[in-house]
Amino acid sequence: MTAGQISRQRWFRLGLYGLLVLVVGLVLALGQQVVDQLSALREEPLDNVNWNITQLELDLVRFQAEVDLAVALPGRDLTELRKRFDLFYSRGRLLARGSMLSRLDVSQSIGPITTQIAEFLDATAPLIDGPEEDLLPALPRLSDETRRMRIDLRVGLIKVVAEFAAMADERRASFGQVLIRLAAATLALVAVLAALLFSLVRVNRQAERRSAETQRVSSRLAATVGTSLDGVVVAGSDGRVIDFNAAAEGIFGYTRAEAIGSDMADLIIPKQHVKAHRAGMERIRAGGPKHVVDAGRIQITAVRKSREEFPVELSIAENTGPNGTIYIAYVRDISDRLAAERALTTARDEALAAEKAKTNFMAVVSHEMRTPLNGVMAALEIASRAPADARQSRFLGIARASAEQLLQHVNGVLDISKIEAGQLVINPEDVDLGVLVASICDTMRPVAAERGNTLHLHQLAPLPMVRGDAFRIRQVLESFLSNAIKFTSDGSVTVELEPQDETDTSLVAEIRVTDTGIGISEADLGRVFEEFVMLDPSYGREAGGTGLGLAIARRLTEAMGGTIGVESEAGEGSCFWIRLPMQKRAGSARTTRPEPAARVSAPTGAAEGLDVLVVEDNATNRIVLEELLRTLGHRVTLAVDGAEGVKRARAHRHDVILMDISMPVLDGIAATRLIREMGKSRHCRIIAVTAHTLPDELARFRAAGMDGCLTKPISSAELAAVLVMGQEDAAPVGTGADPDAEPPLIDPERTADLRSAIGEDGFARALARFAGDGPAKIAALQALAAAGPRDREATLALCHELAGAAGTLGTARLHARMAAAETALREGDMAAFSGAMEGLSDLWRDTTAAMAAAVTAPHV
Amino acid sequence: MKLDFRTATMALSIVMGGALSASASDLAPPGGEVILTVTGAIGTTNSDGAARFDMDLLTSLPQHSFTTSTIWTEGTNTYSGVLLKDLLAAVGATGTTVNATALNDYQINFPVADVAADAPLVAYLVDGEPMSVRDKGPLWLIFPFDSNASYRTEETYARSIWQMDRLSLAE
Repeated sequence: MTAGQISRQRWFRLGLYGLLVLVVGLVLALGQQVVDQLSALREEPLDNVNWNITQLELDLVRFQAEVDLAVALPGRDLTELRKRFDLFYSRGRLLARGSMLSRLDVSQSIGPITTQIAEFLDATAPLIDGPEEDLLPALPRLSDETRRMRIDLRVGLIKVVAEFAAMADERRASFGQVLIRLAAATLALVAVLAALLFSLVRVNRQAERRSAETQRVSSRLAATVGTSLDGVVVAGSDGRVIDFNAAAEGIFGYTRAEAIGSDMADLIIPKQHVKAHRAGMERIRAGGPKHVVDAGRIQITAVRKSREEFPVELSIAENTGPNGTIYIAYVRDISDRLAAERALTTARDEALAAEKAKTNFMAVVSHEMRTPLNGVMAALEIASRAPADARQSRFLGIARASAEQLLQHVNGVLDISKIEAGQLVINPEDVDLGVLVASICDTMRPVAAERGNTLHLHQLAPLPMVRGDAFRIRQVLESFLSNAIKFTSDGSVTVELEPQDETDTSLVAEIRVTDTGIGISEADLGRVFEEFVMLDPSYGREAGGTGLGLAIARRLTEAMGGTIGVESEAGEGSCFWIRLPMQKRAGSARTTRPEPAARVSAPTGAAEGLDVLVVEDNATNRIVLEELLRTLGHRVTLAVDGAEGVKRARAHRHDVILMDISMPVLDGIAATRLIREMGKSRHCRIIAVTAHTLPDELARFRAAGMDGCLTKPISSAELAAVLVMGQEDAAPVGTGADPDAEPPLIDPERTADLRSAIGEDGFARALARFAGDGPAKIAALQALAAAGPRDREATLALCHELAGAAGTLGTARLHARMAAAETALREGDMAAFSGAMEGLSDLWRDTTAAMAAAVTAPHV
Repeated sequence: MKLDFRTATMALSIVMGGALSASASDLAPPGGEVILTVTGAIGTTNSDGAARFDMDLLTSLPQHSFTTSTIWTEGTNTYSGVLLKDLLAAVGATGTTVNATALNDYQINFPVADVAADAPLVAYLVDGEPMSVRDKGPLWLIFPFDSNASYRTEETYARSIWQMDRLSLAE
């Protein structure tokens, strides 16, 4: 039903009402007419006229009869004659006066007659009233006159009667017409009433339909609101409650009857919020902005009937109806949910704390176990070099094998626990994969030879410098190689290195380790990368593995974003492979090492005769290191703590210093700084010796001026490798191996590591401090540089501090620049120092801008 | 107001019954010219089983008059005479129908019950003058047409008999 239809219907009805008034008026008017005419008809003696007219003639006839009798019978009493005359006279006068006939408007035709009658009566009356002697002789004449009179009267009266009849007809017709009009008007009235009735019936039906519809809708709505699990509170713009459903009763504790009509402020709003609530309602009433209405879900505090406050989730909608604006609030009691969330958070925090405690425990245990183990192994190694009989040699061999196995266990468990704790951090650096793989092969070659195996390395295509975690790649590859060597006797192990899917910026490095060993049955292939899997107990025993190696390899590979796999056939040998996606280092030159083995194949021979200072507080380790170094043919000086180490380093120029980190009095880092400051050994290579292997600590060592790191327990092979490296390449480890190439402003991986390690907030704080302190330090540094080499130590300290901070934050170019400056200053190369200081302000500005951009970027 | 004649008559009988019955045999014989003869069901007579009235006898009855116009006359006139009910009481009428006859033998009937307290009047004076036969005399049974519309009907017009000289009451 459209508005147009309703309006049309209303106009139709109004028209009908108007018509009704009109028709009723018409009927009343006609009715009045009928009544009037009827009463006129009743009152007027029409029929009496006819009667009188005929009586007149009769009276005349009877008078004439008496006259004729008196003529015929002389002496007859004339009383009757006189009476007849009087009666005719009476009737004639009645007619002649015309009071009755004139009213009937027929006097025209009766006029001559009445005149004639009047004349007759006037002429005759004196005769009748006179004496008999006058009357008698006149009787014959009177008879003739009367006869003539009678003829004229009859003719005239017939005319009158006819006229009167016509007139009566006319009056009847007129009355009939009024009646017909009245009937027509009545019919119209009935029609109008019928139409009105029809219209009203229709309106009534519509109203009933609409009422039923409204009823249905409102009952549906009531059911919806009533069964809502959320509390529904409806209030008017005056803040008074209009509706309050069952759920709201349950939430707030008020019954619906109590709630309706009450002010929300008194009912469900906590005392401390009432003022704000009233201000808000006032603002909305005044047409101001709405903060809560239509704002979606919000959390807010409400209060129950018991005045207990509790958290609710609230969503308020607004609706403007005929009775003004109402607000509909859906309320959900979220006390339980919040409690559950709190419980979950607590549980999570507790679990995390427990996990952390476990990890800490593992780290402590590993440290505490590996240090004595280091002593045991070193002592065994030394003991085995002394002359011994066959029996002693055999026992020593067993002891060494057992110690190594124990070390593997410890390392394996530690790795797994670290990975499980999510502490595995991939630390990408520039890596020459060819060199890395070759060095690993070189390390493993003697082990392979022990079991009669030959180890081959094939690099199938030249590889550029890439970004990767050399330590972890080495771990995976060593795991593959040691497995291959263990399960192969008098066979061959082949390592293949192949770059694939190479683009301008990235490539996938595939490394395959193929052996000719016993192979793995198809059934076991799926399980080899699971934890604690020993395919064959007998082999396990023979090989002495923990079953953790491949599992760790898999996790490491996955952590580096690579894939790992194995193909094998029992009895035919196995092929283990990894595929690692890697970013190319910008501007790196393609390198091939056609004979890498030849260059690294004889480490021991090339590094003899170095002057080595060992700074170590643990006597066992000191002795072990001394023995190892002497065995390798080096000269050894010992220092029992950092302070003594510094003293000896300054007093005598050494080639290499092996520096323990955790020492009383003066720790390795502080000692290194002091050594770098002055003295004869300030340019020598300082290698950290530590059980700590966390990446950020390595960065700290480097920042302190250390060149490399040896992880306890130390094997003679590793020691030899470090010493060789130092001889071959005097550049500090990890700092600008390629001096020509400017590192990027920011090392994104370094930054990402830091962000994941200390969190977004921590990172932002660190960055803010760096950006805040930086300008002053840069300015101070430039001032010192301009003043010349007078205050060298202060300049050096500033350079060192800036380099450290820059390195930590991953601002690679600034770090490189400051490290170069520091090195130049240490070496007294003032030209290089000046070069490093050039454009430092610009570099600082670019760096901070880049960092600002990085910190707003999402952490990927 | 519609009056029930019989009720009125009964009331009258109760009040005046004694006097009427005492005078019934006393209705004096007419001394002068008889102008009205009443016959039929009547309790009182004065000559040959009829009640005959001369002018003196009529004027000895309670007098009444009213002024009205009629459809037969011009203007209004005052008519005086004896109310029919008083006349009927005087003759001790017991009939239920009145039969009135004129000099020319015009005759009308109507029930005694239609005789009201104020009409009709047996008039013998118009404007204080006696009525001659030429002027609807000597007696005119007339109604106060002006005072009540219910008298202005054909039936009443027909009952307005003039030149009346006889009345008879039928059971």
